[in-house]
Amino acid sequence: MDPTTSMYVAQGIHGIAYGMILFLIASGLNIIFGMMGILNMAHASFFMLAGYFCYQVIAITGSFWAALFLAPVFGAGAGILMERIFLRKLHAFGHLGELILTVGIGQVILAFVKIFWGTESLPVQVPPILEGMVNFGGLEYPIYRLFVIGLALVVLVFMSLLLYKTRLGKIVRAAVSDRDMVNALGINIPVVFMFVFGIGTWLAGVAGVAIAPILTVFPGLADQVGMDAFIVVVTGGFGSLAGSFIVAIIFGLLSSYGVQFLSQLAPVLMVAFMAIVLAIRPNGLMGVEEK
Amino acid sequence: MNKTTKTILWLVLLVILVFYPKIFGVYYTNVFVTFAVFAVYAVALNVLLGFTGLLSFGHAMFFGAGGYGTALALKHIEGLALLPAIGIGFLSATVLAMILCPLVVRVSGTAFAMMHLAFGQLLYVLALKLRGITGGEDGIGNFPIPPFSIPGLISIPMKGAPENFYYLAMVILGVSLWLMWFFTKTPFGQIQVGLRDNAKRIDYLGYKVPQSKAVIYVISGAFAGVAGSVYGLFHNLVSADGSLGILVSFAPITAAMIGGIGSFFGPILGTAVFQIIEEVTIRFTDRVELVMGVILIMVIMFAPRGIVGFITTMKQRWQSPSAAGAKKEKTS
Repeated sequence: MDPTTSMYVAQGIHGIAYGMILFLIASGLNIIFGMMGILNMAHASFFMLAGYFCYQVIAITGSFWAALFLAPVFGAGAGILMERIFLRKLHAFGHLGELILTVGIGQVILAFVKIFWGTESLPVQVPPILEGMVNFGGLEYPIYRLFVIGLALVVLVFMSLLLYKTRLGKIVRAAVSDRDMVNALGINIPVVFMFVFGIGTWLAGVAGVAIAPILTVFPGLADQVGMDAFIVVVTGGFGSLAGSFIVAIIFGLLSSYGVQFLSQLAPVLMVAFMAIVLAIRPNGLMGVEEK
Repeated sequence: MNKTTKTILWLVLLVILVFYPKIFGVYYTNVFVTFAVFAVYAVALNVLLGFTGLLSFGHAMFFGAGGYGTALALKHIEGLALLPAIGIGFLSATVLAMILCPLVVRVSGTAFAMMHLAFGQLLYVLALKLRGITGGEDGIGNFPIPPFSIPGLISIPMKGAPENFYYLAMVILGVSLWLMWFFTKTPFGQIQVGLRDNAKRIDYLGYKVPQSKAVIYVISGAFAGVAGSVYGLFHNLVSADGSLGILVSFAPITAAMIGGIGSFFGPILGTAVFQIIEEVTIRFTDRVELVMGVILIMVIMFAPRGIVGFITTMKQRWQSPSAAGAKKEKTS
């Protein structure tokens, strides 16, 4: 491959890797919204929290693999706690209350992160096997980003199997379309909600660990990546995982090629894309109209 | 309360406002101007949110449009007087709202909120990136602030005179508040409550739903623009983060929620509470976000209808315990 082509390919894979991470966060947000109708503004904070947990687990055990397993689980635990203690009591007062509550929780998480870990960026080391470059046909590419793409695909397959092939997934999908009916059939909806919230924050946690070695961990992480993920869900359409996936990949590619060609206006491309999509389809690319 | 007591209370308030800078000094005068700006901004948002039931996630774009409009006009037009400059801020927010309203009146609920998020972010990013016009991250600063003058009569300098600016800001913001208050009391203003509660019925009654929404939307945007314009003049600086950022969009929503979105004065109360908390916590700790977050959580958990809602419930319970119980059942 000549250098120009390989540069384009490398930028493309960069874009897909970032898109995959965005999709991991966005899918969690989307599942929570689709099923529970909660716009979780604290979602990105759990993503950041998992990044810090990852740093902490590595500092204690020295193993990235342990962090990859444990940090998302801790993140999910924190999410479930928040759902049980706060959100559940608030459901009667509508979406706006939940919105403000999750904004408040995001602020508290930010404050705690600053108290425990300080404000500087913390580096996260990847294990030796993921370090370095891989060479295919003259193209040098960092292994870790390929690993991120692979990880996201594995999680994606696992999630779709869970949602479409198991009884639990059937219940979750049924509850998305008619919560009261499913409740009337004798299924304990609050427990299912808790489970869904856990899965959602777990997905954010996996993304947090995956991005930690690339961007390092710092308190602004939630704002920086979280906003992008939120925009992905909005543009793809609330409740549509396929929409999120398509838009996440488009955004990933837009941001990587955008930085290359129009470095000044790269962020404008993404929001302009969102504004155009929403102006034509107010409920998002593949969203359905509210009832 | 009868009419005389009310008049006396308003007069007392007026006297306090007039002598406020003399009593509290420059620092608290400036704090109060900030409070007043955000109070008007929150009330403008609440016209949309509380009365019409439309949540805008990007109201900062009107706030920012007002600020940038005034700042750009003062920077580029030689010898522009003060009131026309504020008028240009008002107009630019109005025009922005008019451009957007054909798109946004078609939807409500989450789609409405998200669309505003999109346009708000678009304007924010554009303001950051179009350095030639907006100055990028630095914003537009040090634009000339003309004196307030009526030709041939008076000329009051505004630059470097916080006390004079305080009176100007109070008059402009007070008039804005009064106009919005008046608007919600007109028959047309009453339609918006109907739009919130049952848009279909309003349609059957023969009112045009999208058009009515559009008018309310433009009014809400325009007054947010006035607040933004005064804010820009007050700091002599308009920047992307200070006037268009997502936090500027969130501030009035949280203020309205804390104060109580059902009432006209709720957002003012909410803004005051926020301002006081910020002033107090900054003295003792750097962890403003922790205090803010905890307060948001507490209010939502224990007074979901805001401070005004909380007071109303308490009042009802005080007057007749049984009635309050019945009311509570109805709302939950």
